[in-house]
Amino acid sequence: MTRLRWWCLSPAGLLLGLLFLVPLGIVARYSFLTRGPYGGVELPYSLENYKLLADPLYLAIFVRSIGYAGLATALCVAAGFPLALFIARSGRRRSLYLALVVVPFWTSFLVRTYAWMFLLRDTGLINTALLRMGLIGEPLQLLYTPFAVILGLVYGFLPFMILPIYATLERLDPALVEAAADLGARPMDTLFRVIVPLASPGILAGSLLVFISCLGSYLTPDLLGGGKTIMIGNLVQNQFTAARDWPFGAALSLVLMATILLLLLPLLRRKEGLL
Amino acid sequence: MTRRTVFLMGVAGLAGCYRPGGQRLNVFNWPEYVAPDTIPNFEREFGVRVRYGTYESLEEMLARVMTGNSGWDVAFPANYFIGPMRHLDLLAPLDHRRIPNLKNLDAPYQRPHWDPELQTCVPYMWGATGIVYQASLRPEPVAWADLWEARFRNRLTMLDDPAEVIDAALLKLGYPMNSEDPRQLAAAKREAEAQKPLLRAYVSEIVRDQLVAGELLASQLWRTTAMRAMEAAPDRLRFVYPKEGFPIYADNLVILRESKRQELAHAFINYIMRPAVAAKISETKLEATCNAAARAVSREDIRNHPILYPEEATMARAQWFEPLSGTGQRLRDRIWTEIKSS
Repeated sequence: MTRLRWWCLSPAGLLLGLLFLVPLGIVARYSFLTRGPYGGVELPYSLENYKLLADPLYLAIFVRSIGYAGLATALCVAAGFPLALFIARSGRRRSLYLALVVVPFWTSFLVRTYAWMFLLRDTGLINTALLRMGLIGEPLQLLYTPFAVILGLVYGFLPFMILPIYATLERLDPALVEAAADLGARPMDTLFRVIVPLASPGILAGSLLVFISCLGSYLTPDLLGGGKTIMIGNLVQNQFTAARDWPFGAALSLVLMATILLLLLPLLRRKEGLL
Repeated sequence: MTRRTVFLMGVAGLAGCYRPGGQRLNVFNWPEYVAPDTIPNFEREFGVRVRYGTYESLEEMLARVMTGNSGWDVAFPANYFIGPMRHLDLLAPLDHRRIPNLKNLDAPYQRPHWDPELQTCVPYMWGATGIVYQASLRPEPVAWADLWEARFRNRLTMLDDPAEVIDAALLKLGYPMNSEDPRQLAAAKREAEAQKPLLRAYVSEIVRDQLVAGELLASQLWRTTAMRAMEAAPDRLRFVYPKEGFPIYADNLVILRESKRQELAHAFINYIMRPAVAAKISETKLEATCNAAARAVSREDIRNHPILYPEEATMARAQWFEPLSGTGQRLRDRIWTEIKSS
């Protein structure tokens, strides 16, 4: 039985080992090297790239990105939890609704982001409709705003919130809810004092998935934000493209990972069993 | 239909993709940077297969071929990448006897400054950056400096490209493009930061539709994208080469040193250099060819297009993009990050 258990580990272990740990090791090594004149890396080893990071300019970008990711995560909880609850209580329709949540994944994220650009443009669907209805006199600027970035992030990662919450709610024993009602709890009390605490592992897991994905995203800020703000993802991308500074890009990505870990450590600690 | 039949059909489909016989030439290029029939015709005539792979940026191309065993034979680097690629010893020497069509090159491209003897590259097409604007604008913009005017507020875009934005600001200030001088770059940064509140976005090719729809008044744009926008809205959009000067670049055909198909690669370059082939590419991409014989057989409206082939007085203001040093690059990236964070 023990042997079987170890065999179960091997496919994922191999994948993670080869396709995650090895590249991560390469990134770690690059981050201590010197930039080559035309990209690439050269000797000698140095701490130069990490020293660059102490700059308030880069610190501000980290803070801004964390703010964006945090806001998007909060909105995902606000939109995702009620929806997950609705689906969990939909009886036989459950699988249909779940399928609908997953349907957007059938097309690429890039295509869906372009679709948002068409919706949000001055001559896009939303502005055209509002103009026709006479609600506004001239187009609202929706595209290329922080609003559009947050919208794109929430839209893109909402399913990652819904699915884990749904998983916990589905397993929630209906008898507990009935018991709360029998003991005189009003519906809101039942929701916040019984259902939400029981669903908290799902909320936490969903939040982690959404927060981390948002923090690393660079497509959405570029396409929907119009490149007017820079997030960590864009900064890293620039280092590997236009700036041709791989070591600095590598250092940035490692510090990003470390930041995420530091931010989440207390959260994971509190939830026994996760760490 | 059982699952197994579906699987077997898939296998059969894969087998159908395999075409026996002949060599395979690996061409690494921008997406759709040839005419639709360029590659199929070459395959048919030479009895070979071509794998046409694409990159999204020149940096990506360089990163991929830098290893020296990327599997690509032919690539299309810009003029400012030729020096670095030669320095890294990535380019194979060209055998001019195998490329008789070199004679078709336009005179200036017979001896380009990035490789005067054409030892490793053959100029392909050249492009430029300028301003696209709504024809109804009065006064019409003629200079980069005009893009700092308040009348464009919120209906103006610049390219999402550090070199383009910083160089436009340098040109506005009367400094040379490609500058690595910290003082000049600091001044350019202040200009760009002053302009940023007027901008709707830093955005590249996808801005085309918004120009066509009239959502924007003016955009800094590459000529080839501008040409497409003007094709869609011929009377409403115009293009101008700013009076302070403007950037130009040329893409080049090169053979990678690692290529084991040097002969076929030479044949490919010679094929691309044929007047009819190069003309078709130029007509499809709405871009200026470096091939004089091709231009001569191009469609009339392309051959003498005033924007594709501007007069000499305009070309006198053009400045080539040049490779930057490591320090210059790092300084410019820092400035770009500051502009974006401002």
